[in-house]
Amino acid sequence: MTTLLTPFHYEYMVKAILVSGLIGGVCAFLSCFITLKGWSLMGDALSHAVVPGVSLAWLLGLPFSLGAFVAGVLAALGMGWVRNNSRLREDAVIGVVFTSFFAAGLLMLSLHPSNLNLRTIIFGNILGISDPDIFQVLVISAVSILVLALKWRDLLLYCFDEGHARSLGLNTRFLHFLLLALLSATAVAALQTVGACLVVAMLVTPGATAYLLTDRFGKMLIIATLSGILCSVTGAYVSYFLNGSTGGCIVVLQTLIFLAALVFAPKHGLLVARAQRRAAASATA
Amino acid sequence: MPDTDPPLSIEVDDVTVAYANGHTALRDASFTLGAGTICALVGVNGSGKSTLFKSIMGFLRPVRGRVRIAGLPVEASRKRQLVAYVPQSEDVDWTFPVSVWDVVMMGRYGHMNFMRIPRAEDKRIAHECLERVGMSEFQDRQIGELSGGQKKRVFLARALAQRGRIMLLDEPFTGVDVQTETAIIELLRSLRSEGHIILVSTHNLGSVPEFCDQVVLINRTVLAFGPTEQVFTEDNLSRAFGGVLRHFRFDQSTIQEHDGRTVKLLTDDERPLVFGKDGHLEYTERHGREELVKERAKEAGEQ
Repeated sequence: MTTLLTPFHYEYMVKAILVSGLIGGVCAFLSCFITLKGWSLMGDALSHAVVPGVSLAWLLGLPFSLGAFVAGVLAALGMGWVRNNSRLREDAVIGVVFTSFFAAGLLMLSLHPSNLNLRTIIFGNILGISDPDIFQVLVISAVSILVLALKWRDLLLYCFDEGHARSLGLNTRFLHFLLLALLSATAVAALQTVGACLVVAMLVTPGATAYLLTDRFGKMLIIATLSGILCSVTGAYVSYFLNGSTGGCIVVLQTLIFLAALVFAPKHGLLVARAQRRAAASATA
Repeated sequence: MPDTDPPLSIEVDDVTVAYANGHTALRDASFTLGAGTICALVGVNGSGKSTLFKSIMGFLRPVRGRVRIAGLPVEASRKRQLVAYVPQSEDVDWTFPVSVWDVVMMGRYGHMNFMRIPRAEDKRIAHECLERVGMSEFQDRQIGELSGGQKKRVFLARALAQRGRIMLLDEPFTGVDVQTETAIIELLRSLRSEGHIILVSTHNLGSVPEFCDQVVLINRTVLAFGPTEQVFTEDNLSRAFGGVLRHFRFDQSTIQEHDGRTVKLLTDDERPLVFGKDGHLEYTERHGREELVKERAKEAGEQ
């Protein structure tokens, strides 16, 4: 029994668990919008595109979420610009732009060797998170939660039917930018926990899982957020015993829940689909 | 509606729309619609129907000419939410996790506060609109669980909830059963009598004379515009459709004199468009058009 409580004796573990839970929850909430808007790939791209911002911010002595956020937004605008001004398809544009940003970041880091560890950016280092970094995560999360709480209905309509939103006089350009900004901001926060490589899991998997489990957006938000918090907290906690990567633990847990939903979901699960096919076959036979 | 509102109208004045890639989708298009009309927008795919819709909603800015709604520029009319749009079924993501009620409520967003929290009034209007399209019992269904006709009616209810007095409908009868089609037409007629302007884009020619009093025929420009009887001529239609209309000539077919008027015409899902002697437009129902029948008889008798 006491061994189960040992992680809580270490301040760094307690911090890691709480911060992971917070980030997991915020990312999961946003993931509902990202999956419904079809921006999963964009999330992946942005989380890699923030790397040069991190390096540059470090070189200039600025807070690194600021640099990451600016790089993320620039990458998103860059993708929008190339898409509108070329005949390329969106996936090609995303592929080209985000790898360019990522490569620029790598180059900058290798030319100016520093104590800013590449491993930290790519794989995250929640166990060694510093207090200023925690403060940054808290600010990002608080702002994101506030904005989402105030504007989630507008964002939902924007994801569902952009044309209708526009015809009602909603500023869809602003909503587009708002969603991008939220995506960049939470990607920066999640960078701390799971690193650039796995950020996309935090921003997509909970929403994807919840989408399989319900047909109501309100429930989807609740399921996604709860599963996001649960996986992050448990993942961080379990990583102490496994002595493994925290990010890895969190994302593996999310994947397990996703797979369970994929198979056992009451209405859209594989088992139900199979039963329905059988029933249809026997009815026609 | 406050009586300070200007009289309802759509003025499309010499509008030319070009896309960024240099493609001119619409050239020198002009027509005017006044209050209380159901107007069909007829043309082949790619003739500029959706471009015209987008210009009326202000999503596309014409390179030349202008669109005015109730005497206002489109931007100003959008703030007043004068124009409600009912999208084509293919343009909607039916797997989206929203219920019928949620969709109708979205029509009220423009009337709600910053956080879009519905008031009792919004709920009352949403209920009333669902009632009007006969979808009240389905309000808790996810939108993907509805039939084609029901889906259409939900989006009509959303447009009603928006309280837009100009309604743009994009192909409202595709994938819709006959009963729903009749119900929709009935609803549009009652909206017309309330003074709404209804613009319906369609390629289903047969249904047009049944419920549209005016027609705008387009093919990259407005070919003809006016009352249905005047615009719906074989000549105009073959110009609009570039001679690709399928036809069945009774006088060249195996139908003989003894078949007389007992000939029955069936079609799959589109209504047939029938022209009589001298290219007169024929209607399915004699009832209500006694004047027209008398006039035609007189014309034929005089010759």
